[in-house]
Amino acid sequence: MQREFIRNFSIVAHIDHGKSTLADQLLLRTQAISDREFQEQILDDLEVERERGITVKARAVAIYYDYPGPSTDAQLPAGTAPPPPGRYELNLIDTPGHVDFHYEVSRSLAACEGALLLVDAFQGVQAQTVANAYAAIEGNLEIIPVVNKIDLPVTRIDEVLNEVETILGLDAATALRVSAKQGLNIEDVLRAIVERVPAPRGDSAAPLKALVFDSKYDDYRGVVTYVRVKEGRLAKGDRIRFMKGATTHEITDLGQFRPHMTPCESLGVGQVGYIITGIKALGNVHVGDTVTHAGRQAAEPLPGYKQPKPMVFCGMYPIDATDFENLREELEKMSLNDASFTFAPETSDALGFGFRCGFLGMLHMEIIQQRLEKEADVDLIQTAPNVTYEILKRGGSLVQIDNPVDTPDPGEIEEFREPIAKVTFIVPSKNIGTIMQLCEDRRGTYKSTEYMGPDRAQLIYELPLAEIIYDMHDKLKSATQGYGTMDYDVIGFRESDLVKLDILVKGTRVDALSTIVYRGFAERRGRALVKKLKEEIPKHQFEVALQAAIGAKVIARETISALRKNVTAKCYGGDISRKRKLLQKQKEGKKRMKQFGQVEIPQKAFLSVLDAGNDD
Amino acid sequence: MSRSESPRAVEPAIAPWGPPRAAYVHVPFCRHRCGYCDFTLIAGRDDLIDRYLDALALEIERELPGPVEVDTLFFGGGTPSHLSPDQLARLFGIVGSRISLVPEGECSIEANPLDLDNERLAALVQAGVNRVSIGVQSFQPGELRLLERDHTGIEARDAVRRVRRAIPNVGVDLIFGTPGQSLADWSASLEACLALEPAHVSTYGLTFEKGTSFWSRRERGALRQSPEDLEREMYELAMEQLPAAGVPQYEISNFARPGFECRHNETYWDARSCWAFGPGAASYLGGVRRQNHRSTTTWIARTLTREVAPPALVEELSPEDRAREAAMLGLRRTRGIDSAAFERRFGAAPRSLAGAAFERLVSAGWLEESSGWLRLTREGRCVADTVLMEFLSPL
Ligand SMILES: Nc1nc2c(ncn2[C@@H]2O[C@H](COP(=O)(O)OP(=O)(O)OP(=O)(O)O)[C@@H](O)[C@H]2O)c(=O)[nH]1
Ligand code: SF4
Ligand SMILES: [Mg+2]
Repeated sequence: MQREFIRNFSIVAHIDHGKSTLADQLLLRTQAISDREFQEQILDDLEVERERGITVKARAVAIYYDYPGPSTDAQLPAGTAPPPPGRYELNLIDTPGHVDFHYEVSRSLAACEGALLLVDAFQGVQAQTVANAYAAIEGNLEIIPVVNKIDLPVTRIDEVLNEVETILGLDAATALRVSAKQGLNIEDVLRAIVERVPAPRGDSAAPLKALVFDSKYDDYRGVVTYVRVKEGRLAKGDRIRFMKGATTHEITDLGQFRPHMTPCESLGVGQVGYIITGIKALGNVHVGDTVTHAGRQAAEPLPGYKQPKPMVFCGMYPIDATDFENLREELEKMSLNDASFTFAPETSDALGFGFRCGFLGMLHMEIIQQRLEKEADVDLIQTAPNVTYEILKRGGSLVQIDNPVDTPDPGEIEEFREPIAKVTFIVPSKNIGTIMQLCEDRRGTYKSTEYMGPDRAQLIYELPLAEIIYDMHDKLKSATQGYGTMDYDVIGFRESDLVKLDILVKGTRVDALSTIVYRGFAERRGRALVKKLKEEIPKHQFEVALQAAIGAKVIARETISALRKNVTAKCYGGDISRKRKLLQKQKEGKKRMKQFGQVEIPQKAFLSVLDAGNDD
Repeated sequence: MSRSESPRAVEPAIAPWGPPRAAYVHVPFCRHRCGYCDFTLIAGRDDLIDRYLDALALEIERELPGPVEVDTLFFGGGTPSHLSPDQLARLFGIVGSRISLVPEGECSIEANPLDLDNERLAALVQAGVNRVSIGVQSFQPGELRLLERDHTGIEARDAVRRVRRAIPNVGVDLIFGTPGQSLADWSASLEACLALEPAHVSTYGLTFEKGTSFWSRRERGALRQSPEDLEREMYELAMEQLPAAGVPQYEISNFARPGFECRHNETYWDARSCWAFGPGAASYLGGVRRQNHRSTTTWIARTLTREVAPPALVEELSPEDRAREAAMLGLRRTRGIDSAAFERRFGAAPRSLAGAAFERLVSAGWLEESSGWLRLTREGRCVADTVLMEFLSPL
């Protein structure tokens, strides 16, 4: 394929604005899939994706479009001649909209020259629209704004276009209007891609440079590495070298996604595809690395990008200690497919041997847990998630704290730092006050407000990550009747007045219930926590005292009174089955409890740290 | 799923449920539904009684192609004594046409104090009823009113005395934990009951069942449940006062003079087979528990058209679950379960069913094992559900 006949673009948008549905249409129109094969959001083929109806992983597909030549109203970039009619190879990448997977968008963009920016015709510009548009602008990509869902009974197309101009600074006159669902004006999209997205640049005679922008693990083929060729040419049988990984391999297979993996002889400048090199572990392929030839090497690697670091951690413990090894195997399998998920063994006095697992965010955590529950035959206790902290110790060493229990003694701490995020809210103007109050209550620092039209505004705050990941999204939704959206980006660590809050059950600290909190919130949090635990922990034969403490100082307490009476009076012929089932169910519930000293703590209690939140 | 070992009960060669030697007949009529009651019954529809009897005759004919002999027969409800003397006679005729009682057999009926006039009593005696369980519930006027009972304490007392002259084996049912009831009130009811020298006493802690008016009144805050501590004291008081007066406890809610334990109910706690007829009645035959449709009107209508109303439940347990259920039932009895006999019958040792929890329950002082019998302690009876739960599923 000649460079001039290749176009590479990503589809980006806020969650649910229709990226995957538009991808369906592009595939259908170009006969990449037949009507028979068609199913909605065909690229969302992971089980979690289909179940939740969202995209989690970016997907690349090569399609072929017969461009008929410019239409009369073609908006060609100023001063350029129209591209020649003919068969074009379009490499599209469908990306996820959820903030946890924003890194998937960034690296997809790095493999493209253009982006389709979808905006819902009713919802308009939302938080992730802004985040993704900026990422595309920064990457110097040609952005084609596309107003989607114009078939909706109520749309705000004019306002939406206005938002595109004021907030994103894009020329609204160039926006397309489509309905991905009904397949309206899809031809315009294809044509605009050919006319407006620049053809890839790069010298096919130069030494090979291909960007590794993704990878996945395949049970049969091992690691499949996704590449975009920037210079030179990649062919089957080539001996290649990963420049950063500094390893050499032979390409046993290579091809394109159309949308299924389809082998081909070679990939030239601008083309997107996959290579298979017999590598078995995902960890051995670094996303962002540069592939070159082992013989004729490129002088410099491509700039690449960093693997995102997990910011949210939680402990996972098998209820049955003998399941530890099983759990390890399952976690390993999980990380094979998802390099941004981390885990490391740890021990807890309360829960025994387990793992501290790191995630990109709460959705990421939920997804991994769900998969573990489904695929692994292991009963788990999971501790409440926490963000990662940094501590500068007296003496100058810097440690990262992924588990509150690891917090050093206050005497050893020079500086306690927590991650700070820049948070962008897009909310109805009438709710600005409420949201600002919400942010102030959560230690936010106000940055700016920008009106997007008469009714909506963009509000920017800097907030501790710990204050936003758990329930900020829910709070925002309820404060704005569902209309508000948010996006965040961790910008660094900042010193803060933090303390470790311990929970003592019957006089003994339960390490798995410790949390790190802002000192000013500690008392309220402690009270809420013991109150919540009182609800979660069943009555025992004896009284159970619950205390929240900072160091040796108890700041809140509750008592669970002893179990005095629990007996069913009648059990005759007709009562027996019902009674048996009831007790059986109660017993099943107890399986998820952990014996701690004399006290049994249900698994749910370990998560109550979360629910007890900051408010009551 | 847990991989921990669970005891594998193997079905023994001899079926553990044994041949049916007991029969239960459910009579689903009451004058009025008491606020706490969630039994299968229909109140204020005496017009249905005759059709009910027609249906009962058909059901018994259908289920019992030939005559059977039983050791115990139990007429429960509802209120069987609510039937007119003629209807009672018909009831006994229908049942007696297929089911006969062995000479030393036990034939029980549940009755409300006001129903047992001389005519009805004569009908009972005539039919060979030799045990009457009277729903007294309380001797305190305030409690009786709250419980929506239609008799006074004095009427209850008179009824017990009168019935006993005709049928000596009389039991009294009492309820404790009624909202507002004090420990002294309860003690007074126990005393009043003991003064009547009943052969049998049942004490039922009041429970709030979903769907009853008590339940919704409690939800609304219009009715306050007794504090757990008080309920326990009341239960403990019964466990002291009744045995001290010569009426020892033999099951969680039941007390009897020696020899007057309800043999029919022991069939249930011993997990043995039982016939059952009438709406909502649960039979246990060949190891299958089958509960009739719970709606009285549906049961009548379907049975009369010679259809079988869809059963509320058909259940055949695995050998392991059957053993678990038998442990749950057997441990309700004060004497507990004979471990060796249990293992022979059900193929699993009772203690193995509780797994790791067993030792904990023993050291908590809730469970004890002596000379081969496993039983709840007195403490254990107060929290029986917490203990029995451990026998119901492997951990
Ligand atoms: N009415 C209407 N609905 C649409 C249109 N396009 C997409 N949808 C619906 O919007 C919902 C989300 O569509 P997706 O294609 O999964 O959205 P997405 O942007 O890929 O979502 P994420 O990958 O989770 O960010 C689905 O219910 C689609 O059917 C459209 O043009 N009109
Ligand atoms: S009389 Fe007995 S069966 Fe009838 S409603 Fe009252 S408590 Fe229930
Ligand atoms: Mg999608």
